[in-house]
Amino acid sequence: MSALVLYLLALPLLSAILVAALGSGRGPLIRWISLASTLGSLALAVAISWGFIDLPRVASADTEIPTFHPEMVTRVNLVPFGDGPSATGIQFYVGVDGVNVWLVLLTALLMVTAVLVSWTAISERVNEFYAWMLILQLAMEGVFLSFDIVLFYVFFELTLVPLFFVIGIWGGPQRQYAAKKFFIYTLTGSLITLLGVLGVILTLAFEDGSRGKLTFAIPELVQMVGRQNRELPQDIHDKEQALRAARGAEGQAAARDLVRQAQEKLDHWRRIQFWVFVALAVGFAIKVPLVPLHTWLPLAHVEAPTAGSVILAGVLLKIGSYGFLRLCVPLAPDASLSFGAPLIGCLAVIGILCGSFCALAQDDIKRLVAYSSVSHLGYCMLGMFALNEVGLSGSLLQMINHGLSTGALFLLVGMLYERYHTRKMADYSGLGARLHLLAVFWVFIAMSSIGLPGLNGFVSELLVMMGMYEFQSSRVYGPTLAVLAALGVVLGAWYMLTLLRRVFFGPPREPHHGGHGPVRDLNGRELATLLPIAAACIFLGVYPRAFIDTAATDLRVVAHIAAEARNRDGAMLASAERNRAPEQTAQAGRNNAP
Amino acid sequence: MNDAIVTALTDYFPYLGPEIVLGVAACLLFLGGTWRIGRHLWGSVALLALALAGALLAWMPLRSFAGESAARASLYAAPLIFDRLALLIRVVSLVGGAVLVLTSWDEVSDEQAADYHACILLMVAGINFTGMANELVTLFLSLELISIPTYILLYLPRVDRPAQEAAMKYFLLSIFSSALLLFGFSYLYGLAGTTNLPALIEAFESWRKVGPLPGLALVALVMVVAGLGFRITAVPFHFYAPDVYQGTTTAAAALLAFVPKVAGFVALIRVLGFVLPALPLAGTGVLESRPTFSPPLGDQVPFLFWIVAAVTMTLGNILALLQDNLKRLLAYSSVAHAGYLLIGLAVAPRLTPDSTAPLGGVEAVLFYLVAYGAMTIGVFAMMSALSTPSRSVETVDDLAGLGRSHPLPALEMSLFLFSLIGIPLTVGFVGKLWIFLGALAVPAYADVPQTLTQQRLFITLAVIGAINAAIGGWYYLRIVAAMYLREPLEPLPRPQVRPVRAAVLICGLITLAAGIYPRPLVRAVQAAVARPAASEMVQAAQEPGR
Repeated sequence: MSALVLYLLALPLLSAILVAALGSGRGPLIRWISLASTLGSLALAVAISWGFIDLPRVASADTEIPTFHPEMVTRVNLVPFGDGPSATGIQFYVGVDGVNVWLVLLTALLMVTAVLVSWTAISERVNEFYAWMLILQLAMEGVFLSFDIVLFYVFFELTLVPLFFVIGIWGGPQRQYAAKKFFIYTLTGSLITLLGVLGVILTLAFEDGSRGKLTFAIPELVQMVGRQNRELPQDIHDKEQALRAARGAEGQAAARDLVRQAQEKLDHWRRIQFWVFVALAVGFAIKVPLVPLHTWLPLAHVEAPTAGSVILAGVLLKIGSYGFLRLCVPLAPDASLSFGAPLIGCLAVIGILCGSFCALAQDDIKRLVAYSSVSHLGYCMLGMFALNEVGLSGSLLQMINHGLSTGALFLLVGMLYERYHTRKMADYSGLGARLHLLAVFWVFIAMSSIGLPGLNGFVSELLVMMGMYEFQSSRVYGPTLAVLAALGVVLGAWYMLTLLRRVFFGPPREPHHGGHGPVRDLNGRELATLLPIAAACIFLGVYPRAFIDTAATDLRVVAHIAAEARNRDGAMLASAERNRAPEQTAQAGRNNAP
Repeated sequence: MNDAIVTALTDYFPYLGPEIVLGVAACLLFLGGTWRIGRHLWGSVALLALALAGALLAWMPLRSFAGESAARASLYAAPLIFDRLALLIRVVSLVGGAVLVLTSWDEVSDEQAADYHACILLMVAGINFTGMANELVTLFLSLELISIPTYILLYLPRVDRPAQEAAMKYFLLSIFSSALLLFGFSYLYGLAGTTNLPALIEAFESWRKVGPLPGLALVALVMVVAGLGFRITAVPFHFYAPDVYQGTTTAAAALLAFVPKVAGFVALIRVLGFVLPALPLAGTGVLESRPTFSPPLGDQVPFLFWIVAAVTMTLGNILALLQDNLKRLLAYSSVAHAGYLLIGLAVAPRLTPDSTAPLGGVEAVLFYLVAYGAMTIGVFAMMSALSTPSRSVETVDDLAGLGRSHPLPALEMSLFLFSLIGIPLTVGFVGKLWIFLGALAVPAYADVPQTLTQQRLFITLAVIGAINAAIGGWYYLRIVAAMYLREPLEPLPRPQVRPVRAAVLICGLITLAAGIYPRPLVRAVQAAVARPAASEMVQAAQEPGR
């Protein structure tokens, strides 16, 4: 089975080389090869997920330190550090678990649609276009499949180059600026993330007493963080016990010293965890994007060709949220709880509302969809930082759903634009009477995006809000955030329905489209791109258990890590409370004395 | 003459085969230059000499000693030393020399080819001697062996005013920096009473044990860093770089970007005792090179490097943003990369045996030097390949639309540029990764509060480096964007198959191969700077007086 994962990575690479070598003159052949390659990838991804669902997955025991357990693993040492048996190194370490299997499937599915939708739209430099798209597929699948932190980063950064060219060469009028802005914005973030990645590796190499043994495998890193998080408070506890048992002034002083040292060690560890969280989060937050860092997104989306927008919205934004889920939360759980949850929770809610309001204000359909992306990703982040199983599964499901529905929306915008060469809502009216099938799909996908019960969006948004409603910590009151986020659903319905009303209903009026021949309804190729997505929307809306059950084991790992952090947080608050109480009584005593 | 020195010289002569070959070939070329035969012959002679030197080096790479006393004697008496670091430097310089000969093959006229290539050979020999130098005077002479041919090289190919100005500027500043360096060396000699580097550093270490270093030592160190700072284009000694690069030919600019930088960093590593030749471990009889774990020449040196590194990369990157001329842009980029390299040197002495063993400042610097050489010479060589005598590639606009008109050259060029940005799967990424790893790996001990401050300082330096790398992304990306996203303003002529394409190919192969599979290069660098085995490191850490 593990060979399938390797084929999944090798196929796009080989096809990209083949396509690039064919030269731009052979358009049809290149299109068919790309289609065959992406269909092959889809078949592989289906086979992998099929095999994965059948695998017996055992939940790790409670006593064990929770970590990810990838299946279908390939591990090869790439860059060794050190000699001898303790030598570790950067590895080619790929595998599948419940978290990434669906994202891989989503990538494979959307790539097929991306190839199909570019069939006639891309006529210049065809070979380069498909080669870059296939390399992009390789990089995206690599990000999801990597279980080595440096390999993850390599793929993460490698997604930049193909998309830079796709936007920059085949994009709209402002494509150069959009491509550069996208590249530099993301590069800056990912360089800070690189420092975070290195920080994780190095702090663990020091803290674990492993004397310079560097670990790069994500499951082991997660376990090491978990061990530190358990041992350091335990150490303080032990030392305090010893202090109580200590006899004599000298013994007490020595024991107190030990307690102080243990406390300092814990404080140091927490400080490092905080900075690791910040460094990792910056790059991922830009990619998601979280609200103050989202300014590259509308521009890149609007300027990108349809296939680029579909992939950018459908898969690339998920890389950011996936990074949070795979690295940020498990590797810095305490900082995620005490710092991440308030900050990112609030930013996510601001993103939901701000994205919706911005979407309401747009006249350009593509720009509207782009802003709706910001809003939907807000739900995703909100669910993730609820840090419980319900919220996490909602968040992961939201990633898939957003990929499906927003990907489909961009497809539909592209189809509309190909017919009429305008994206202004004001130019359209009553298209429903003219293009029946297109209107049906628009309404259907819009409903899925709004979150109509029975369709996919509903399930994930519900789970996210349920998760957030349950969330409570000393610093955030979850229900407030959940209620505010629920407002976003209303706004979402508002801008989507406005769009539908203005474009598809009302008196029929077609925009001018000089010299393009009669406008026809969807053809077979376009139906083939939309139908699978629509089917997936219904399936995930009606039977989300298939998805939730598969991911549950691995999401429980993250939830478990977060729950431990919450317990520690509670214990710390309680001890702070205890420490404060005697002081207050002492103060009260002093006040009463005179 | 001292007997020990005489025997040392006779013993060492056979090992200098590569340099002797280079010297003889250079003389032949200078003599042959009086006949007008054509550049192809002289280029072939130079390549042949480099290949022969490489073969000799492969035949006798390292000198092995019969016993420890013999090794010790040569360590403290010989002007040249054949440790593993020297071997790496010699290999790098020979390969680099070959690439540079190929790059300048068609750029020099027939009349000047012989002299030009002879100068390159002498510079290669100069780098080799710098790598082997075990003594202040030898080191100075080796550096001059690089400088003097450089003056000729700058004068030779172009006779217009900017070229003359560039050569003059370089000449005057280079003399000035040599004087500073010599001044520093004289202080070092005055303080320690010896010019032998291991003895010099031991003398400093013994002073450090009893108290602070004398003030004169600091003066000497600042002078040395200033003198060598010119060669590595560190701020504030970088002023000449943009003017000189712009005023000379593309191939000569490539040479200026690579040769002085390698020589300068190797000289810094040797003089400041970042790496010391060490007695053979056991049974091998070969001199190892060991990194030193505390700055032997004072605590102030790493701090000095910290400041210079931060200023150099920031200024280099920001000024590069403003450039339209490719050579000026690359000159500032070379300044910026000197800053990244200096991070490695600043960090090197702080990576004590306790810290993560396989990472290190000096190793990272050596790796990055190779990486930098491959990608920068690659860019210059590609520029040269695209130029014709009538139309040379000078500005970013000249490259507009290259992706359309010259797909393959554009692809190669973007490979180098992405490597300079530090995108994964290129050697530039691995180099930056290693440099940043070193900066973040500085250990802190709870019982020494000073180390906590140091750790924080170096993390700050890593953050400055990361931000700089992002700024750098902007101007390299501008070139990529011009090549792929813009329409050609004035199409360049179709490039012919010329030797310079071979240079591009070699650089491209190094950039890509060492980026995808860095293991061999990493191994080579780690062998050159042998960290002690883990067991020994524990001992070293437990030694009193650390």
